[in-house]
Amino acid sequence: MNKPATAALIFARPTPAKRAEKGVFWLLRLSTYFVLACAVFIFLDIGIKGGAVVFQTKAPFINVPFLTQSPETLNVVELDGQKVRMGDHAFREFKEKNPEKLAGVAVETYVYSAGGIFPNIVGTVLLVGGSILIALVLGVLSAIYLSEYATDGAFVRFLRLSIVNLAGVPSIVYGLFGFGMFVIALDFGVSLLAGWLTLAFMVLPIIITASEEALKAVPKGYREGSLALGATKLQTILTNVLPYALPGILTSSVLSIARVAGETAPIMFTAAFVVRDELPWQVKNATDFLFQGVMALPYHIYVVASKIPQNEYTRDVQYGTAFVFLFTVAGIAMTSIVLRARLRKKYKW
Amino acid sequence: MPSENATATAPGRVPTRQALLTKRGGWFFGLTGEQIAKLLFQGNAAISIVVLGLITFTIFRDAVTFLPQNQDNLRIYRLAGLEFVDILRGQVTEHSTLSRYLLKIRSDEQQRLSKAGQDFAAVNAQLAGFDALANTFADAALEHETILGEMTDHVSAVKDRYTVASDLMQARQNLLAAAAQDPARAATLQKQAEAYEIEQIDFTAEIAPLVARRPEVQAANQKLELALQQATASIAQLTDANQRLALARFQEHLATYRASIASTEERMLAWDQAKPVGWHESLSAFLFGRRWLTASFWQDWYGVIPLFMGSMIIAVLALSIAIPLGVAAAVYVNQVATSSEQKFIKPTIEFIAAIPSVVLGFFGIAVFGETLRRVSQVEWLSWVPGFPMLERLNATTAACLLALMAIPTIFSLAEDAINNVPRSFKEASLALGATRLQTIIRITIPAALSGIMAAILLGFGRVVGETMVVLLCAGNRIEIPDFSAGLGAIFQPVHTMTGIIAQEMGEVVRNSIHYRALFMVGVVLFLISLLINWLAQKIVRRYRISIG
Repeated sequence: MNKPATAALIFARPTPAKRAEKGVFWLLRLSTYFVLACAVFIFLDIGIKGGAVVFQTKAPFINVPFLTQSPETLNVVELDGQKVRMGDHAFREFKEKNPEKLAGVAVETYVYSAGGIFPNIVGTVLLVGGSILIALVLGVLSAIYLSEYATDGAFVRFLRLSIVNLAGVPSIVYGLFGFGMFVIALDFGVSLLAGWLTLAFMVLPIIITASEEALKAVPKGYREGSLALGATKLQTILTNVLPYALPGILTSSVLSIARVAGETAPIMFTAAFVVRDELPWQVKNATDFLFQGVMALPYHIYVVASKIPQNEYTRDVQYGTAFVFLFTVAGIAMTSIVLRARLRKKYKW
Repeated sequence: MPSENATATAPGRVPTRQALLTKRGGWFFGLTGEQIAKLLFQGNAAISIVVLGLITFTIFRDAVTFLPQNQDNLRIYRLAGLEFVDILRGQVTEHSTLSRYLLKIRSDEQQRLSKAGQDFAAVNAQLAGFDALANTFADAALEHETILGEMTDHVSAVKDRYTVASDLMQARQNLLAAAAQDPARAATLQKQAEAYEIEQIDFTAEIAPLVARRPEVQAANQKLELALQQATASIAQLTDANQRLALARFQEHLATYRASIASTEERMLAWDQAKPVGWHESLSAFLFGRRWLTASFWQDWYGVIPLFMGSMIIAVLALSIAIPLGVAAAVYVNQVATSSEQKFIKPTIEFIAAIPSVVLGFFGIAVFGETLRRVSQVEWLSWVPGFPMLERLNATTAACLLALMAIPTIFSLAEDAINNVPRSFKEASLALGATRLQTIIRITIPAALSGIMAAILLGFGRVVGETMVVLLCAGNRIEIPDFSAGLGAIFQPVHTMTGIIAQEMGEVVRNSIHYRALFMVGVVLFLISLLINWLAQKIVRRYRISIG
């Protein structure tokens, strides 16, 4: 047997300080993983219960009606000792065909609990798409000005100050602003346009800051080289700065898509309706398209979570909607994170 | 190359791209493409300033008119005598509170005795003396209650008449305005307007009989005083130590109550109907008002304090969970974790920020609130103040979920701050023989402290400004939490500033005082977020200088 050297023995024995260090590190580790566990639990809870609504074991494996129909009122009828669930349309047909069966039978109704969430998905896509378009155009152009043209002065300092402060304003205040400004003062009514502008202004500060950072990250040498070869400033920006900053701008925009899609408070009274029978493209005049309210996933979740009871009949629509919404937003956010990780590797100067 | 002056008259039109990129120009309003591009970018940048201006302008414009409206509201409150009646009401309410307190002592005593094995009749016989006291006490204020009831009816009627009259006045003004616009129908409209019989209400005369009843109240007070003296004398014949303690406390309350009767009387005497309501009174009624009461038949109050308290309680709770966890995670990831762990944990925590708040709120309603209540009902946890929880949705439910939202913010900013500490600091400390823990606690964290502070502030901003989670999970009761419950107050339902806007904005009548009040709340939120941002920037700037 080899006896370990004395020195090794001394250093291997944990000193009190070492032991304390280990304990504290474990505490830190546990806190970190506790946070992760909480998040994972939420994802699993909604993923499992909502996944059961959206996915099926039989072909076509996806609950197509849920994704393609409009919300309906659910009628629960007790027939022959069994509780039967029927959507509003089905229930009316059934009532006409066999009215004798329904005589004296108690009918429980749950609003929005049957059918699907198609108009909500459409509305969300429309809201997000339009507002991101507005925000990106405004934001990227502003960022180019700030990073390439602006020289430090009162105007620019005030601009930066306002952007930083706008980024911290609560989203409900944007909702108030949109309501007071677009819905009432400009008389758009509760409309897609009001929602677009409200949401666009809400993410504008984020897009500007992130895009400016991406532009600033392009090395000075690129610009100087181009200018030295006789290109104009605009040419330099278009050919030697923007292409390299574009990936960074892209990540920021994907991130803001996730943020826009996830917000409820600003659209509650600027753009969202609880129920709207027609789909957004079913309008009389083309101009009506902009001035119509839409249904949206986040607002729908708020309504079904707060206004209808939680039980086995309403659970499907609650968890199903939450599942679709959460995993769409999470998917967008994931794209942004993956994109950023890739681009960091690719563009290193 | 394009010609020197490529205006529209030139035969060969210059391709747009070339025109845009050329240095020489003046093809559009005498501007070169360069200048136009710069203007375009500049104009876009200016838009964000315009947006900030618009936001400020919109919410402030709708908010400032709240002040005169509320002033008017308070003026009517005083003129119609509601304020006068409320002074007396305060005294009567206090009396009935004390009366309820006596009943509670009685029921406790009754329970104690029946647990001790006595039957119902025996218990009642034993408590007969106590009942006599309680009844005399309750009856002592009967006269006051009658007077109060009569007064309430009187002033309600006056106020109703005033409301009707002012509505008619408004209708007449609308008709006259329409008449001025439309000459064809002017005559008919004017006739309609004249047809309204609008009552002129002389508030002083209406309220005079009320004020004249002051001697009556004084007389009633004297009788009450006598009755209370008797009550005080005949108290104290309970055997149990706890009950005697409760009775002693009752006597203390009684003493303050007796002292307050005189001051109520004085206030009633000093009450002056003609005293004008200043605008600062209107403002302080909002800023320091302890009641948010809308659509009340008696008087509407728009005091922001209950909402502000709700927001603050939730924010402080959420932060007290999020700060330790967020900072611990930041320290762990930056200083302790292996690089593979880092690569996994960092994006995952940042990913949490992507969970939409309404989904978190739904999770709170569907799962978390119920779980928390189940846990609170476990027998061996009953020592925790506030357990078992009375409500599933309360400040703590919302705060736990908000903490999860604040953690990514605090984590990523704090991690940045720790990352920015120069490596030489750490190396110097390690070289002197300090352990890693000592280095972290004594060197790294203090050096990054201001960055961490800024992170915490921004996390606070995030929590205060969050809407959906508090709207769904905080319980939405507009009341200042009852702090007499000690720490248990955190398990009471509250309402918040963001929540009230989201909840009431949809149903409120446009341009009414209630609508303006909601905008005032928005202004408070806006100012809070400006303050937080300003503080965070200030802290970060100072930090930069100190690192040098």
